[in-house]
Amino acid sequence: MPSDHARGTLGDAKAAVDVRTTSTIGLALSLGLGGCAWDAPMSTVAARSDVAREILHVYAIITWIVVGIALVVGIALAWVVVRFRSRPGAPGMPAQIRGHTLLEISWTIAPAIVLLVIAIPTIQVIFRTQAAPPRDALQVRVLGHQWWWEFRYPALEVVTANELHVPAGRPVALTLDGPDVIHSFWVPMLGGKRDVVPGRQNRLTFTAETAGEYRGQCAEFCGVSHANMAMRVVVDAPDAFARWVAAQKAEPGEPAPGPAADGKAIFARSACVGCHTIRGVSSGALGPDLTTFGSRRTLAAGILPITVETVTAWLKNPPALKPDAKMPALGLTDEQARAVATYLIGLK
Amino acid sequence: MSAHPAGRVLHAPAAALAGAGATAAVVGWLTTVDHKRIGILYGASAFVFFLLGGVEALVIRLQLAVPNNTVVSAHAYNALFTMHGTTMIFLAVMPFNAMFFNYMVPLLIGARDVAFPRLNALSFWIFLAGGLLLNASLLAGTPPDVGWFGYANLTSKHYAPGLGVDFWIVSLQILGVSSMIAAVNFIVTILNMRAPGMTMMRMPVFVWMSLVVQFLIALAFPPITVGLIFLMFDRFFGTHFYDVAAGADLHLWQHLFWIFGHPEVYILILPAFGIVSEVLPTFARKPLFGAPVVIYSGVLIGFFGFGVWSHHMFAAGMGPVADAAFSIATMLIAIPTGVKIFNWLATLWGGSIRPTSALHFALGLVGLFTIGGLSGVMHASPPVDLQQTDSYFVVAHLHYVLIGGSLFGLFAGIYYWWPKMTGRLLGEGLGRLNFWLMFAGFNLAFFPQHYLGVLGMPRRIYTYRPDLGWNGANLASTIGAFVIGVAVLVFMVNAWRSLRRGAPAPADPWDGRTLEWRTSSPPPVHDFDAVPPVYGRDSFWREKHGPRRPLTVAVTPAGGPAAHAALHLPAPSRWPVMVALGMLIAAVGALTHVALVVIGILWTIWAIIRFALEHHRTPEHADQTGGLGLDHRKMAMWVFLGSECFFFGTLVATYLAYKGRSVVGPAPHEILNIPVTSVSTFDLLMSSLLMVLALAAVQRGDRRQARLWLFGTAFFGLIFLGFQAYEFTEFVHAGFTLQRNLFGSTFFVLTGLHGTHVAIGVLWLLSLWVLDLRGRLGAADAVKVEIAGLYWHFVDVVWIAIFTLVYLIP
Repeated sequence: MPSDHARGTLGDAKAAVDVRTTSTIGLALSLGLGGCAWDAPMSTVAARSDVAREILHVYAIITWIVVGIALVVGIALAWVVVRFRSRPGAPGMPAQIRGHTLLEISWTIAPAIVLLVIAIPTIQVIFRTQAAPPRDALQVRVLGHQWWWEFRYPALEVVTANELHVPAGRPVALTLDGPDVIHSFWVPMLGGKRDVVPGRQNRLTFTAETAGEYRGQCAEFCGVSHANMAMRVVVDAPDAFARWVAAQKAEPGEPAPGPAADGKAIFARSACVGCHTIRGVSSGALGPDLTTFGSRRTLAAGILPITVETVTAWLKNPPALKPDAKMPALGLTDEQARAVATYLIGLK
Repeated sequence: MSAHPAGRVLHAPAAALAGAGATAAVVGWLTTVDHKRIGILYGASAFVFFLLGGVEALVIRLQLAVPNNTVVSAHAYNALFTMHGTTMIFLAVMPFNAMFFNYMVPLLIGARDVAFPRLNALSFWIFLAGGLLLNASLLAGTPPDVGWFGYANLTSKHYAPGLGVDFWIVSLQILGVSSMIAAVNFIVTILNMRAPGMTMMRMPVFVWMSLVVQFLIALAFPPITVGLIFLMFDRFFGTHFYDVAAGADLHLWQHLFWIFGHPEVYILILPAFGIVSEVLPTFARKPLFGAPVVIYSGVLIGFFGFGVWSHHMFAAGMGPVADAAFSIATMLIAIPTGVKIFNWLATLWGGSIRPTSALHFALGLVGLFTIGGLSGVMHASPPVDLQQTDSYFVVAHLHYVLIGGSLFGLFAGIYYWWPKMTGRLLGEGLGRLNFWLMFAGFNLAFFPQHYLGVLGMPRRIYTYRPDLGWNGANLASTIGAFVIGVAVLVFMVNAWRSLRRGAPAPADPWDGRTLEWRTSSPPPVHDFDAVPPVYGRDSFWREKHGPRRPLTVAVTPAGGPAAHAALHLPAPSRWPVMVALGMLIAAVGALTHVALVVIGILWTIWAIIRFALEHHRTPEHADQTGGLGLDHRKMAMWVFLGSECFFFGTLVATYLAYKGRSVVGPAPHEILNIPVTSVSTFDLLMSSLLMVLALAAVQRGDRRQARLWLFGTAFFGLIFLGFQAYEFTEFVHAGFTLQRNLFGSTFFVLTGLHGTHVAIGVLWLLSLWVLDLRGRLGAADAVKVEIAGLYWHFVDVVWIAIFTLVYLIP
């Protein structure tokens, strides 16, 4: 990995290449249908990590080759069909040519050469992006559940859900596992996807380059609410990351008197404690850790922004918002739900 | 007497099984064994299922037309895409292909029917049973909702508790049986029933592609059959094949599925390639450019198609070496595919192109499959695939190859062969409207999906948020899908008008190149008045326009009505429907009540016995030696045993892959009784010796010895089964069961399925023994004993492998 010193200039050069590759892909893919936003939240051609950049590099090569071949073949087809259309009154039968050995050899070898051009960077990138992570990588365990994401930082003793924070410029080594079915971890701007296969520890390593927020979504059909299993990845500058870790590990303070305090009381005496952990309050392990729920921006695996209204609606009837959600409606009144929502949002 | 089509003796009895009028017509269709009628049955059924799958697609697209839509619930949506995929692949494209295999292959090779006409009918009725059963899940309110490739362990009883997955498993198994039987039938037909002078290299390319497809089916279906058996056992009997807590590896399902699934996509596309290879030369009035190369490419694609399956698993975490290996293999397959496209272009170059509807669809395939194939090359690179897989990019890719490729090819075939099959012409104006609507609608529906993939839209999601940049492309795609629907309606209007009052079609409306145009439209029930002469590749074209290669046999005169009356035609039979019905009853029983399973199995066995004995004494059936000098039935047995190699190979491979992974005991060395099993192994080997003696006795007409050795073989087989029953009982008493651990699951299923094979063999041998007892097994029936012998020896050899790998090697 490049040293801190070199990374500055390398980073600038890489950023320049990224812009060029992105617009190259964009141009290539825009043939016929223009006007797409290539930096849409789930774009696969807006690379923000080393792995994503490597992929984009191969992507660009292949896309140009493939578009070129498609144009050549398409134009040849159209031309042949027009040029050799049967004309009324034209003499009998065209020459009954059966084949041409040299031609066959040529158009067997030509694709082989093209494929070689594609294969070489492909193999290189496979091995580079699947190399073992360096010793100083940040280890994160990702557990895919039906239908939410759990993130555990063993070295930092942090547990959170649905929102993954990583420091910029430092390798992150994800280990993927899960207690139920196969899911797939996919944050397009940070690289390709990797399946979460129960019983196997799949690995995904990347170094995010610039601070920012990126969206991810489960990419392997995992049941009824597969469509509702998104996540946010927040790439922090190193000091912001340290602050975030500290905030995650801090004991939650007492909630403000009023609805928040009522909310905590309701939470503590309800079935909530059986499934959720709030440090100092409950230690359930079936659902997401809520200790710093208020510091997140979305709820229920990225399907809704966190506001008092949305959290209240969720608390009253989770399966209505997320079909077959394992969290049941708990029979809270409107007022109770609101109080708990206020409490949870205050957990920063 | 050889089974040469220009045979003699009896004229086939008419369908003497029912009364007059409509009843007779229905019974006629139910008991038909005519390959042409069976082809039509496949085509009509396929079309109905195609419409069903299309409606499912339209509802999917309606749901996705705008973000956060509420046309259907999440549950319904997940069932819709599962049913759409399963229906289109197994109930639409495959039977459309089967329509052409059935109707055209015998005509193209100058034969009068297939090698086993009743088995042919059986394949259709079993297919229909499977298709009806799958769609019955909709009526029962429990359709499968796990995706058409149902990844374990989402399909486990725990995560998919309803009947949906069970419907899916049972239906697929039935459909697999149908395809397997047809594969054996067509391989024997193509190899053994070609008209004199039609060497392999003179066969039309469509026949070659069909042959490759049948081999793919015979060898690719066993692994999925085993994978589904594992899933069925997990769900019904508590085994652990896909149980992570018991030490299973969830990749097993994916490997087994895709070892089938990748050859399956070549099964879907190669017939379309074959059709295009017939249509382009006909309407360009030039031979197929590089025909031998196109043939070899098809064979290579089929062969290498077995080596690329894990390119569906690049995101699954197989490691860089496996990723790289499968990536290279996948790229290599692009070469023969590209070669075909170039040869098709060269066929058109310099031709005199007539722009018929059939040609339009064939050209559509060339262009659209190129796009689909190229997006496939993108997927072949794992780094790129890691972004594209499981997104709408792969959905775009698969529809470009399956619709742009398979469906456009099938429509080319429909427009091309419709006159031959119906005796009427389809309207060319409506045909061209059909094409352009389909072409425009298809590209509008699926090209934007490439963008959706690039913009990160995952597949199999019932809805999406409005702020992700996916809205416009989804709406465009939905509009395109409905345009496809209109195109299909235009086709239906065209077809209806043609059948009602279309212009009558001559025998050779296109100035065709191949033998089917040499007989009337539609052909008479006996296909050809006389065996057609073969003047080389594109035989009929050479006959009309030259140059003619020398004939290998003299042209037989067509003869008059007397000659037709002397042809032996396959007689209609009720037993195919009866066997299929028994299987359907058993399948329904698997989903409802075990009593029905028992009734169904007994019914099926009874119907099979009646089926087998129906023509036991028909003289024309005594000798079925074909063009290669081999009896049809022996060739069929060899093909079947080839597929059985893959069946047992999969079981043994799973056993070995799971060895040592059990979480609890016992381990093999702690429970297996090698001395006792050595005795039973010796017994089974000796039974093979007795089988050899039995065959020799039958061949020399020594009925007493034949009875002795046939019974002896069966008896030794029973002893083996007795040992196995003893062994299983001991194990169960010791607490070692199917459910005990992973070793229990793999051991009992492997040896149990082998034991089932032995039991079937025993029943078979005992039936031959009974036949002999009644004086009905003479020297002329030796081939029937011979094929039973082949089967028996094979089951023996498999046991040697099992005994070595499971018992002897620690």
